[in-house]
Amino acid sequence: MDKEKNHLQKDEEYEIDTLTNDRLIKGHDYDGIRELDNDLPPWWKWLFYITIAFAIIYSIRLFVFKAPDLIQNDEYQKEMASFNASNAVAKAGKTFEVKLLTDKASLAKGSEIWHKICAACHMADGGGLVGPNMTDKYWIHGNTPRDLYNVVTNGVIAKGMLSYKDQLSDKARMDVVSYILVKLQGTKPAHPKAPQGKKYE
Amino acid sequence: MSVERFTYDNKFTKLFMYATILWGFVGMLVGLTAAFDLIFPVLNAGIPWLTFSHIRPLHTNAVIFAFVGNGIFTAVYYATPRLLKTPMYSKTLGAIHFWGWQLIIVAAALTLPLGLTQSKEYAELIWPIDVAVVIIWVIFGINFFMTIVQRRMKHMYVAIWFWIATWITVAVLYIVNNLQLPTSLLHSYPIYAGVQDALVQWWYGHNAVAFFLTTPYLGVMYYFVPKAANRPIYSYKLSIIHFWALIFIYIWAGPHHLLYSALPDWVQALGVVFSIMLIAPSWGGMINGLLTLRGAWDKVRKDPVLKMFVVGVTAYGMSTFEGPMLALKSVNALSHFTDWTIAHVHIGTLGWNGMLTFGMVYWLVPRLFSTKLFSRSLANVHFWLATLGMLFFAIPLYFAGITQSLMWKQFTDAGYLAYPNFLETVTQILPMYAMRAFGGSLYFTGVILFVINIWKTVAAGKFVRYEEDQAPAREIDTHGAKENLQWGWHRKLEGKAVKFSVFAFIAILIGGAVEMIPMFMIKSNVPTIAAVKPYTPLELQGRDIYVSEGCYLCHSQMIRPFRSETERYGEYTKAGEGVYDFPFQYGSKRTGPDLAREGVQSLPNYKPDSWHYNHMLDPQKMNAESIMPPYPWLITRNIDIASTPAKIRAMIKLGVPYPKNYADKAVGDLKVQAHKIAENLRQSGIKVDDNKEIIALIAYLQRLGTDIYKDK
Repeated sequence: MDKEKNHLQKDEEYEIDTLTNDRLIKGHDYDGIRELDNDLPPWWKWLFYITIAFAIIYSIRLFVFKAPDLIQNDEYQKEMASFNASNAVAKAGKTFEVKLLTDKASLAKGSEIWHKICAACHMADGGGLVGPNMTDKYWIHGNTPRDLYNVVTNGVIAKGMLSYKDQLSDKARMDVVSYILVKLQGTKPAHPKAPQGKKYE
Repeated sequence: MSVERFTYDNKFTKLFMYATILWGFVGMLVGLTAAFDLIFPVLNAGIPWLTFSHIRPLHTNAVIFAFVGNGIFTAVYYATPRLLKTPMYSKTLGAIHFWGWQLIIVAAALTLPLGLTQSKEYAELIWPIDVAVVIIWVIFGINFFMTIVQRRMKHMYVAIWFWIATWITVAVLYIVNNLQLPTSLLHSYPIYAGVQDALVQWWYGHNAVAFFLTTPYLGVMYYFVPKAANRPIYSYKLSIIHFWALIFIYIWAGPHHLLYSALPDWVQALGVVFSIMLIAPSWGGMINGLLTLRGAWDKVRKDPVLKMFVVGVTAYGMSTFEGPMLALKSVNALSHFTDWTIAHVHIGTLGWNGMLTFGMVYWLVPRLFSTKLFSRSLANVHFWLATLGMLFFAIPLYFAGITQSLMWKQFTDAGYLAYPNFLETVTQILPMYAMRAFGGSLYFTGVILFVINIWKTVAAGKFVRYEEDQAPAREIDTHGAKENLQWGWHRKLEGKAVKFSVFAFIAILIGGAVEMIPMFMIKSNVPTIAAVKPYTPLELQGRDIYVSEGCYLCHSQMIRPFRSETERYGEYTKAGEGVYDFPFQYGSKRTGPDLAREGVQSLPNYKPDSWHYNHMLDPQKMNAESIMPPYPWLITRNIDIASTPAKIRAMIKLGVPYPKNYADKAVGDLKVQAHKIAENLRQSGIKVDDNKEIIALIAYLQRLGTDIYKDK
């Protein structure tokens, strides 16, 4: 009885929109804007439910189970550990000889590194600005391949020269040292920095 | 029931509409300039207020608060009286609101390019302007809510709900995020530092998108789409559900701007899950907008207004799906700090806000001026330029963002970074920056056509200032009125403006409170690091210069816990490192490298003092391909030494442990440190005085990130 009455009253609340055959809600008229009584699209409802379920599962994983993939320090430690393990295998048994390289490929690689990294302080043509001139015969820390290799590897931190042992491989450091000694030495830069250090003939 | 007659006054609708057109033009022109600055760094011609880092905040503030802001007010002043059947409450308040808001915009345009900024994104305006914004917002609120009080309609329409939520939330966000301790008329420090400041800022920043760019424009959509299409709203039920779900959930999502940052995991997780839950409520709005056009698609094909609405609402749907995807940590690990974010934002702004505004104005002007639109075909051309412009803008930036991020993360087989030089990853994507500028130019060309079209229409018509309407008086007594619909309880609420507003207020408070209160009250969220010490007075001045110059717009100070970042930049950033950082400088974009550990000598990013000096003066001299603009004025401008004691006193008030009475000694210490740095530079052959801004900036840069490395 009650249900029937409700239903009757409900029907009185509607008119039909002729273009879509949907029910317009009576009394909903705002400056001529009417509203339809359409239900929520089912797919929309399910989308909402699924995202809520995602949120609940995600939260339980973090707050209850402390899932390591949701705790960023755990994630980071794991990433580092897996790298260190594989790196140790890769490096095992390999030795490196410090020796001037004159082959084309090495010098080309050295040139590339020079322009990408070293030029920021020593200028592209090696004339020096923040760092010393690399084209003249004056050296602060010696002029042998081993001397240069040591500077590039360990840096001269107090003077602003960085250590590149974590950025460049042994070979890459040797490439750029060779580029300096083979290609840059003796060239004429546009604005050479005044000589620094001791002259080596 | 007697019918009452009354009159709408279109004056402020017209004025706000003119303002939105004017500021839209200006704001987008500034944006275009910024896009070209990125391709041609020397375009700034050595002038601070043409430099990217000065005009980027001008662009964002202009398009958000001036273009969209005036767009909101245009809609509110036009639609509110018509939806509620009563004129706006007060013409005086309307005038104060209009002129006050425009003055704020002018003040912003004068201060931001000069480097007067708080540096919190979209909250850059300095404290006196903040105060003015709050006053004008309250004036607007009184005018709006009193109109609701005086309404003749018993119930409020969904557009009004969205504007109520907008007013309340923007007030809360703006005040909480702008709590500042002034040190002078033009400068202040926020009361929050480091990670706490970051959380408050991104709670604000995200919800500036939510409650300034989204909810008020949903109100625009709910009024103008059914009006222009002459169709009923698709689903009243959907309006109810998506409204409450949207405003409740949106407010929680801010932390997704700080994923993999120093923010604790639990807050990040809340940011993730609430972002995901936002998809459906957002799409509820899109569905209700698009499905309202059922039965009117033939009109859409012909009418540029409806076409713009369709693309606008679709863009809304796209960006509200993309947003939650970017809030997944695995996607964010790739997208964050890249141009992907910029592309995402512009789908929303160029598409949703831009298209809706253009459509609204094209619809309004013929009605306000009792004439036909000057040229429908010109409007169609505008539509195509805007649509294509948007795509040409966004697609290259998606490529740019993903390309650059992959390059940052790439390792060689030997375990070294494949692109150790950050600049390589920049030059790689420069062609895409050029494409973006082209897309922006297309979009802006459309705006020029829009201005011409509106101009001509206005010139041909005659302004209809007053419009008559009539309606019965509102039934005051609702007791016993039977509402038998399924949503009867909500129908009742729609008739009770105060109760409705209180519920909305509660809904938007919960998320922020749950995230922020523990961050401030529970110490373990920001673990103390003993090695972290306050800045020296010179470093503090240098930091304020860093803030003022807008360095944070291109350089982050947030090393994320990934091997690719710790290899490049050093130990990842900890929450405890930022406790003296008023304001935080995490940044949100890496157009240049991260600077969080710039001062650590054992790290790859370290540069000597003389490098910084030369680099600020002429970045292209150091790296020919660099897109950093030159900052030569740092070399000539003097440090504002006189401000030091006030700044130190403010810091002490904010809890920074300087010794007692340190404010009196600070200037002496500043001069000693400045002399040391200048002397070092002079030894490298650089002629420089002790008191130049560059000295303070170098002091700050060389301090960055060093504290926790001291023991190592």
